[in-house]
Amino acid sequence: MSLLDSIRYRLRVFTRSREHEADLAEDMEFFMSSEARMTEHAAKGAVSAPEAKRSARRRFGNATYYGEEARAIAGLQLFDVLAQDARFALRTFARTPVFTAVAVATLAIGIGANTAIFSAVDTLLLRPLPFRDPERLMSVALTVPATANGPANDDIIWSLPKLQVLRASQHGFASLTAWFPTQYTIRAGDEAQRVTGEFIDAEYFPTLGVVPALGRAMRKSEDYEGGPPVAVISDELWKVMFNADPAVLGKPLNVDGVVFTIVGVAPEGFNGVSGNVKFWIPPMSGPPAWDVSAFRDPRNHSFFVMGRLAPGVTPEQAAAMVRDIGLRIDAQYPENGPVARRWGATAHRLDATRVPPGLRRSMLLLLSAVGMVLLVACANVASLFLVRAASRRREIAVRLAIGASRARLVRQLIVESVVLALVGAVASLFVAWVGVRAISAAQPTVLAGNISNSGIGTVAVDAIRLDLVALAFTAGIAIVTGVLFGLVPAIQTTRPSLTESLKADPSASQRAAILRRVSTRDVLTTLEIALAVVLLAGSGVLIRSLLHIAAVRPGFEAAGVLTMRVNRAPAWSRDSITRFYDVAIDRLSEVPGVTNVAIADCSPQSGGCSGGEIQLLDHEAPKVRARTHWITPQWADVMKVPLMRGRMLESSDRRGAPFVVVVNETAARNYWPGENPIGKRLVPLNADTAVVVGVVGDVRYGSLQAPPVEGIYMSYYQQPLSFRMMLHLRTASGDPAAITESVRRALREVAPGFPMYDVATLDARISGSLAEARFMTQLLTVFAVLAIVLATIGTYGVISYAVAQRTREMGIRIALGATSADVIRLVVGQGAALAAVGGLLGLIGAAPATRLMRAQLYGVEPSDPVTLGGIVIVLTIAALVACWVPARRAANVPAVQALRGQ
Amino acid sequence: MPANDPPKQELLKGTLDMLVLRTLSIQPLHGYGIAQQIEASSEDALRIEQGSLFPALERLQKRGWITAKWGQSPTGRRARYYTITAAGRRQLGNEISSFDAMIVAINRVLRRA
Repeated sequence: MSLLDSIRYRLRVFTRSREHEADLAEDMEFFMSSEARMTEHAAKGAVSAPEAKRSARRRFGNATYYGEEARAIAGLQLFDVLAQDARFALRTFARTPVFTAVAVATLAIGIGANTAIFSAVDTLLLRPLPFRDPERLMSVALTVPATANGPANDDIIWSLPKLQVLRASQHGFASLTAWFPTQYTIRAGDEAQRVTGEFIDAEYFPTLGVVPALGRAMRKSEDYEGGPPVAVISDELWKVMFNADPAVLGKPLNVDGVVFTIVGVAPEGFNGVSGNVKFWIPPMSGPPAWDVSAFRDPRNHSFFVMGRLAPGVTPEQAAAMVRDIGLRIDAQYPENGPVARRWGATAHRLDATRVPPGLRRSMLLLLSAVGMVLLVACANVASLFLVRAASRRREIAVRLAIGASRARLVRQLIVESVVLALVGAVASLFVAWVGVRAISAAQPTVLAGNISNSGIGTVAVDAIRLDLVALAFTAGIAIVTGVLFGLVPAIQTTRPSLTESLKADPSASQRAAILRRVSTRDVLTTLEIALAVVLLAGSGVLIRSLLHIAAVRPGFEAAGVLTMRVNRAPAWSRDSITRFYDVAIDRLSEVPGVTNVAIADCSPQSGGCSGGEIQLLDHEAPKVRARTHWITPQWADVMKVPLMRGRMLESSDRRGAPFVVVVNETAARNYWPGENPIGKRLVPLNADTAVVVGVVGDVRYGSLQAPPVEGIYMSYYQQPLSFRMMLHLRTASGDPAAITESVRRALREVAPGFPMYDVATLDARISGSLAEARFMTQLLTVFAVLAIVLATIGTYGVISYAVAQRTREMGIRIALGATSADVIRLVVGQGAALAAVGGLLGLIGAAPATRLMRAQLYGVEPSDPVTLGGIVIVLTIAALVACWVPARRAANVPAVQALRGQ
Repeated sequence: MPANDPPKQELLKGTLDMLVLRTLSIQPLHGYGIAQQIEASSEDALRIEQGSLFPALERLQKRGWITAKWGQSPTGRRARYYTITAAGRRQLGNEISSFDAMIVAINRVLRRA
């Protein structure tokens, strides 16, 4: 293969030029010594060794000439020239350290920030999901439209009866699987671990295209109610808990007290669809304690569903099919009641639902923001190069005059900029590394536990790494920007005619040329300012929005409260659960530092709150929706939620006593407007009739942005709940997290083997819920600050160059009687013009940009007047800073020196 | 150079590549071997400027007609051995036929004059 050999040869010359060169030299040396030996041998001693060597050299001809010729043919000469240029470039940079430092820092920040964000985008949005043919997988969900009682939701999980309708009537999927992640306590020996496991059906592994590394997956024949309890464990669990024992198959796995038999080990790196999954079990096989019969309820929505497209079926066809089946499901299992909604079903490509839409939007916003920073950085470096090239016009002209070819000069200038870009790229790797670490460390809790997102948890913020794609991306940006920076000034500076540039002083005939270049720089600087203003506007409205959110009063006092959940045995009866919590509360109250203990079924910003339809008695619209809460009487004291009317739940409100509830202000206002809610009757859930005895303040359980919804509080002692509860501990002083260990020890005394988990202070839960918004705001602010600093540097460069060009003019003005103030006004006026034009363009561009961010904003309009005012102030300061030094310099020009020339 | 050397013919321009390919088509050789072989098979009638072999060898490699590999010479020293490729053999065939055609044409011109 001539082409292949040829390519191999060229590649070798290019990648291992030094080795190739050494080979050539050695080959020639071997040739001459062979010839010398031959001559010596032929003369049989009549010729001395040095004589033979000389003769050989003569016969060889001009070795230097042929060597050079061979090197030229090989293409090695290019390296000589490039190395020369690179050395020259480094010398030039060493002579202008400030220029070099600013240019390298600008590039490092621009490229580094882009690499970091691109790494994040690559991990979160681009990299294929770790399943076979992930583009053929579709997430299937139930939907409800928006009604007066709640917003639309197109990502609702399935109940098994509804899934049965889908399975029976679908023909677009080769397979469909249902799964759901849950936290479990697993035991091996005395070790108990709280881990995530997934309920799965037999289709799970085949649908994903994952084959267990050891043993087998679940069989279809095992996937039925009351089937055998089998489990597949993750590679990690196998290594950590079973010491990578190859004989693990057939061993027991104790999950919440139920023993499963291990039949398989998943391949390394497979952590389930929800991410971080340690084992998989079929839900239907669970022993009666798990209440498998609940799965027969069509309203028990418990499973995520995904399907693998059948061959030849497009995602659009499948989605249309699922929508049709949605109508059938609604017909078969209609929602009842006066506010009933029509249910439907929908399907999306799994890849499209891999991250929550909000996060996707945020990432794309950040990517465009950081792209703008790179544009500003490029414009800045280009304008720096232009300024520098202008000051080297004489050097270039001299070199042209003494015979350097234009191509050679252009190449040298490009090499200079590429060298600079490469140095910047290396420096940017550091910036990118720091950036990626910052991003991946940024509150993994933002996504942890977020299962509202089609159940996909395999892509997570803490999985972001500085990867090879991003590295290639960096290198690409570096080379392209380098060539671009080099090209424009290189062409411009080598263009002017020789005689003009050789003159020591710019004369009138040259003014036109200067004007042409100055306008290029002006355009670049105006662009920089405009982009910076867009970024400032974006970060400005985000900061204002975050301030609004942070100022929201959540309705309780978060400081000083520690919260946690405790695992309980699944088979406990309702009575034994309350007894367990009684003992636990008593014991925890004795822990030093704890002043009060309460339990509630859910806690603010931690999810898991219950809600549903309740019935109001003696009311014209009896069916309403409400959040239902189970609390112990101390809850209001622990949370410091104010009692507005009536009385709080008391410890005498127990089983057997009259059923009483407390409602929140929103419920009181919306259910009985203008009436006294005390004494009203209602039926929460399907329980008995309850009487309202008090009204408490509203608590924001969901996001702080969402307004409070109607809530009803029941006493845990009156309506015991077979559900995991959250312990709330109010502490005396200091950081509540400090007593975590003593709490853990106390709980171990009363409930050995039931680990506590999900431990967090209420403050941490609230700041965790703000983490994404805060992170977004911080990043965008950093970008905006970078952009405005770069734009200031760019403006400074342009103004000071203009001042240097106009030194004579300034001198004449001063000589003719202009004051310092006049000169300063002249210079600042130029900067102000740049800032004004750039600022105006930026504001025009910012309007659509901030409108795109509307979904992320809370309590602030996209065209927020405060933000716009702030931008004007920042821009004015930046322009003044940029103009100040050049203006002072111009004003202090001694007239005589200026008139005498340079 | 010994005085009793017979007069040698300078090489025709552009024929060195062909001679190298022809020499290598018999067996892989190192650079010195190629030079020796060319002179020997022309019965010492052809004289090549030895150094010009090296640009020619680089050129042939670059076109993918020969490849180079380090090996051991009979004297035990490290030497770079050149091997003709399949493409090189095809090229040799082309060059020989066009060279033959040219010789015929030149001869025709010379005879007529």
